[in-house]
Amino acid sequence: MKYLDLAMNAASSLGAEYADIRIQRSTDQRILMRNLSLKNADTQVVDGYGIRVFKDGAWGFAHNNVYNDEAVLATVEKAFHIAKLSATVNRDKKLRLTPERSYIATYKTPYKTDPFEIPLSEKVELLTQINSNMLSYEGIRQAMSYFIMHKDEKLFASTLGTRLDITYVFVDPIITATAVADGDSQSRTFDEGGRTVGWEWIEELDLAEKAKQIAQEALIKVKADTLGPEERRSLVLDPNHLGLTMHESVGHPTELDRVLGWEADYAGISFATPEKLKNYRYGSEIVNFVGDNTLAEGMATMGFDDDGVPGQRWHIIKDGILNEYGSTRDTAMEIGLDYSRGCNRATYYFDQPINRIPNLYLLPGTKALSPAELIADTEDGVYIQGRGSFSIDQHRVNFQFGGDFFWEIKNGKLYRPLKKVLYKSCNPEFWNSCDAICDKRYWRPFGVVNCGKGQPSQTARMTHGSAPARFRNIRVGGSQ
Amino acid sequence: MNREFIEQYIRSHCSAEDYTCRISESDSHETRFAQNGITQHLAGPKVWIDLSVSFGAKSGNSLVNQGNEANLDRLIKTAEENARLAPEDPEHMPSVGASELPQVQNCSDATLALTPEQMVDIVQQTINKAKALDAKVSGMCEKHISTNGIFSKNGFSAIDSNTVFCHSMTLKKGEVETKVSYEAKDFAGFDLDLEFGRLASQAEALARQETFEAQKIAVILRPPALQELMWYMNWMMNRRQSDEGFTPFTGMLDKQCFGEKFSLHTTLKNPLILAQPFNMMGVPTKEMTWVEKGVLKAMPTDRYWAERVGCEAQMPYNMYIPGEDISETEMMKLVPRGLIINRFWYIRPVDMKRGELTGMTRDGVLYFEDGEVKHAVNNLRFNEIPHEMTQRILAFGTAQLASTRAFVPPILVDNFNFVDKTTF
Repeated sequence: MKYLDLAMNAASSLGAEYADIRIQRSTDQRILMRNLSLKNADTQVVDGYGIRVFKDGAWGFAHNNVYNDEAVLATVEKAFHIAKLSATVNRDKKLRLTPERSYIATYKTPYKTDPFEIPLSEKVELLTQINSNMLSYEGIRQAMSYFIMHKDEKLFASTLGTRLDITYVFVDPIITATAVADGDSQSRTFDEGGRTVGWEWIEELDLAEKAKQIAQEALIKVKADTLGPEERRSLVLDPNHLGLTMHESVGHPTELDRVLGWEADYAGISFATPEKLKNYRYGSEIVNFVGDNTLAEGMATMGFDDDGVPGQRWHIIKDGILNEYGSTRDTAMEIGLDYSRGCNRATYYFDQPINRIPNLYLLPGTKALSPAELIADTEDGVYIQGRGSFSIDQHRVNFQFGGDFFWEIKNGKLYRPLKKVLYKSCNPEFWNSCDAICDKRYWRPFGVVNCGKGQPSQTARMTHGSAPARFRNIRVGGSQ
Repeated sequence: MNREFIEQYIRSHCSAEDYTCRISESDSHETRFAQNGITQHLAGPKVWIDLSVSFGAKSGNSLVNQGNEANLDRLIKTAEENARLAPEDPEHMPSVGASELPQVQNCSDATLALTPEQMVDIVQQTINKAKALDAKVSGMCEKHISTNGIFSKNGFSAIDSNTVFCHSMTLKKGEVETKVSYEAKDFAGFDLDLEFGRLASQAEALARQETFEAQKIAVILRPPALQELMWYMNWMMNRRQSDEGFTPFTGMLDKQCFGEKFSLHTTLKNPLILAQPFNMMGVPTKEMTWVEKGVLKAMPTDRYWAERVGCEAQMPYNMYIPGEDISETEMMKLVPRGLIINRFWYIRPVDMKRGELTGMTRDGVLYFEDGEVKHAVNNLRFNEIPHEMTQRILAFGTAQLASTRAFVPPILVDNFNFVDKTTF
């Protein structure tokens, strides 16, 4: 597109030390059905461009949705003007960018069936079947099902000479059954998160059958016992629960911008400060976390980040020791690195990219271990599936998590279903208490579609993953 | 963007039996600073054109962000296609008709006139003040100008504009970390010396910290802390969710389920807070009393449920909690000991049916005893049920601006339920 060259030439002429333009068209289709009422059948197209200019150690970012030469040039000038204004403040605190080479590349999310090509009527028919199946169970008072389909078409150019053409697609299905009984109300949700795949995944999931299971479990949950007072117990955590726990307690603390205090005013900072690199015991020796923006079907797998840095794979925690952060070109330089890990991402064209969590996952155990064997080896504990209440302090130390479905484990067996279970722990106690992880046969991904961060707020996506894992001696109890 | 052109185009090209179009446009300038330098700096306009159409009881939506003919054609075509392919909705509502709207004034000339150069100067002065204290400051200086409008096939047509200025500052000196935030529609009321003075004073009070174990204890919730808790409680007060059995307010309408001195309103009468003249359903807003002296009088309701159960379709467009005139110093004398909470962080529901929330304190917690502040303490986690908490309010301070949409007092609450502590 001609505007790429027009903008980059204009930025260079003005004296930008670096500049890039991201032309991005984002298409969303969101379909929400509550009981048998279609609450939303919506198609959104958000199209425009954002221009970043780096000048005298400071950024300026301007965006626009008008496509003509005059508007593009005015947007470049605005970004340049803002960068110069910022530089007057940064005179003794100049930002710097890691060196980076140029790339000419095309990246397209692999999918068999474009989810936008499936007629709306077919999607609505499936949601109707899903909700009808849930509502067929007496006691289910509310059935909710939701499909999100998203496509980003991005053209990126920088003054380094990089030219990227990226097409990124994901789908995300969520279904929830809510039961009301005996003065209580409890929900059960099927949520594997999003994946950068096509409609074929929705077909493979057989959601109409899953809906029956979800409804049955909601009915079990609403009549389940509560756990009673908080005690030290073992936890066995399923991958679609651990995804959120690792997101909050490992993903966010190892974002380098938080470590540097750049999020101090809002999202918070991190206890995992640079002097802890390579020596801090974050977890037990079996705990290995990998950042991997090359992960197949990963929500942060898009070829390149919005700095024009390619996707990479690296250890964030290695054998339990804090190894490295997720970084961007401007944050990496602050701790003396000469490379970025490619974690700079924006949500829409009007968002200035910021340091985000990469695809981040717990490597599976190296010894053969199944979930059944893990539970059989656990005398007294709680097995948790799915996401529930979650909250963590702004230094990412103390946290409290709930879940979606709970079983009490007694003498190596699933003894009784539970509801309203909470566990409290802190970094590094929690990850150091991890004493068993199932093997790679049981590793499953969980794609996050709504990670909120930044001012102005942005919603990023990334995939987590793990096999079921056990944590010893954690404070577990019923709510209140 | 030409709003009149868009409206005329949709009115003349949309073939649906019914439609509602919402047009929002904004222009923002945001200067973000951290650790005494600017880290992000962005500006630009945004436009949203959101069209809902229906054929009988079949509805569809579409949204674009450009107002030219090609995009408007696509907008109409996609919304109509979505509607034709949708099943009949048993809860379908026709678009709203013409209405008389309340008069509001949400724009400030001072905010409109604020320039990027002035905003950067505010940031520079903020950093200079932090450096003078040998401290580091992070925050954001932001200005927003927004216009929202709705028109419908059945004759509703309205526009509302507003301005917002915010300047937030988090000061870090040694282990002390605290925050002050000014959020208002009018920049003219902003006084950096005053706001930074409050920030420095908070930081000074937090200088000596001792470890404090989680327990039930009296707390003074300053306005930013109270408003955060109340927004989450408000979210659980949905009328339909309550009628269908999902919230603690099931069957509680016209009953005493809050503290006797606690009232909760949305108001058009306070010029300091934003008050839109119509909500996004196209319903004219009005004065609403949600809770009056502890009695639940109304709950936020959409048009469909309002018609079904016979109540008003209203949503909380702002929050007003009346106060009294008890000062923080006087509050400290009303209980033997307690904590002063500046803000909360990461509030999330724990149990929707009971209305239970969890969250952390943030930006400074002070311990007081025998009527005076003794020292700061570490941050704490709470698990608390806000509507039950209002039954333990011992005193109200003077209501004040907490954000652009909240005017609430500090309150003294007995036996606030802290359940865990953190290390800082």
